[in-house]
Amino acid sequence: MSSPAPTLLEENGDLRARLDEAEDALGAIRRGEVDALLVESADGPQLYTLQGQEAETNRFRGEMLAQVSDAVIAVDTDERVIYLNAAAEQLYGFAASGALGRTLAMIRGARWLHPGDEAAAKAALRDRGEWRGENIHVRHDGTELNVESGITVLRAISGRPTGMLAVVRDVTERKRHENQVLVSEIRYRRLFEAAHDGILILDPGTGRIVDANPFMTRMLGFPHSDMVGKELWEIGLLDDDAASREMVSRLKQANELRYENLPLETRDGRHRNLEIVANLYDEDGRPVIQCSIRDITERMRTEEHVKLLMAEVNHRAKNLLAVVQAVAHQTAKHGDPASFAARLSDRIEGLAASQDLLVKNQWQGIEVADVVEAQLAHFKDLIGTRVLIEGPRARLAMAAAQGIGMALHELVTNAAKYGALSNLVGKVRIAWHISSTAHPAFSMSWLEDGGPKVAPPTRNGFGQIVIGRMAEAAVEGVAEIVYRERGLSWILSAPVENMLAMVV
Amino acid sequence: MRRPLGPPAEALLIDEAPAPDAPCYVLRLYITGSTPHSTRAISNIRKICEEHLHGRYELEVVDISQHPSLAAGEQIIAAPTLIKKLPLPLRRFIGDMSQTDRILLGLDLRKSPEPASPAPHR
Repeated sequence: MSSPAPTLLEENGDLRARLDEAEDALGAIRRGEVDALLVESADGPQLYTLQGQEAETNRFRGEMLAQVSDAVIAVDTDERVIYLNAAAEQLYGFAASGALGRTLAMIRGARWLHPGDEAAAKAALRDRGEWRGENIHVRHDGTELNVESGITVLRAISGRPTGMLAVVRDVTERKRHENQVLVSEIRYRRLFEAAHDGILILDPGTGRIVDANPFMTRMLGFPHSDMVGKELWEIGLLDDDAASREMVSRLKQANELRYENLPLETRDGRHRNLEIVANLYDEDGRPVIQCSIRDITERMRTEEHVKLLMAEVNHRAKNLLAVVQAVAHQTAKHGDPASFAARLSDRIEGLAASQDLLVKNQWQGIEVADVVEAQLAHFKDLIGTRVLIEGPRARLAMAAAQGIGMALHELVTNAAKYGALSNLVGKVRIAWHISSTAHPAFSMSWLEDGGPKVAPPTRNGFGQIVIGRMAEAAVEGVAEIVYRERGLSWILSAPVENMLAMVV
Repeated sequence: MRRPLGPPAEALLIDEAPAPDAPCYVLRLYITGSTPHSTRAISNIRKICEEHLHGRYELEVVDISQHPSLAAGEQIIAAPTLIKKLPLPLRRFIGDMSQTDRILLGLDLRKSPEPASPAPHR
């Protein structure tokens, strides 16, 4: 049989505890530590506040703060959270029930943007009782938030500090956007600054320049400060203010405008050709004109040069065809018809050698020695022994090179067939010099020696025409041909200016 | 103040390692808005918990100023009221929790009153 004593003791203990609670409640009410009493009713518990108007004011304040979108958080002098509104709960990811009473450091960390910011904030709170600024709050989950805060020291009526009230605005998104804008600004500013085209930004309202990149200064010679505020015509890009106005008005209709070739004189008098592409576009609700200006002077010069070259090539091709035609005609007229093809091919080869040299020297004339050596290509082993070449450095003009080249070709061919190069001992001496007289002349000679005995030709073949009349015509000079018994002598003379290329 | 929408109070305990042998306390504090008594009660009880129950307590603060029904069934007669739900037996404390000794005693954290207790936070 069990004893009833323990049950009675338990009941007694429970009653004592409830009595203690009732006494506590009464004591707390007497001490004024209670805000409200709760009374059970048929509709559930009813709240009766004990602080009248003050309680109502507190409730009103609480309601207001709950509605604001900024986070509001109040701490006591130990930095324990005594209030946080719904926005603060959202911002820091903490329910009020868990956050209240905890130290601020447990709710969120803080990081300062610059060294010295924290000390400055503390000094402001100490000296002025308030601080406003930006820093970084770190949530419990590690997320970093860029925030703008306003912190005020709370004081009792006596002036004693009772804590602090912080109003915190999350500006993370704004900061991210600002950073993106900043990065973009740096990137495109660099493009603008480093561009190798001129860029001008114009206000369509006034037609005046609001910005110009550094390349504009290099192109036109105006410093940046001299361009900003001016109209295009004032820096020489358009004829007059009417042209400036017309450009703006046409741009407003078409949005894009192109000036293909604007001649311009720079500040230091250089002539430039410019191409301008102007665009009207919207810059965050504000229209602006952007002009891209390209210096096409060099391009135009190159185009002109190419055009000139094409005309020259055409002209030379026609000339060369005329020469080939004449050579063909004369080769057919003189000599054995059976060997026509071989002779014609041989002569065209001689022409081609001169042509190669001309092209190689960009039609700027050829060294005499090069012409001689090109025509003596088949006998290059004999140069220095049986073929002697001597003369100063001199550059033959194009026509002279062609004429002399053809003549030398005939002379070489003749010497190989019948003259000094047809046996094993004959020699050829090719020489040229410039006389130092008042009207200097250039003369070139071909002297054969030691070949078979020479007899003057019985008929005038094409070879004679080439070394005679054609050579004379090419240099507007005189060709002297002597059929010496010991070898052929050929001397061509002409004024220097007909023979030699102008030294550029 | 209002009934919180954020995560529950348990979320706060993640980094507070509980002592393996000691009982875990579950406390609930009923307050009425941000009145001086309520804010003092919050600060005082949190301080007591952190000093004496570090790592083994769960404190939920419930604001009944807008919704008194949140107190239904808890036999609350005044606010602020702290209820010790666990460990049993259930205990209630009324006031701004400034009577530290009485609360420590009621929470079974001190066996007998000590006259030289630290000054309450007011």
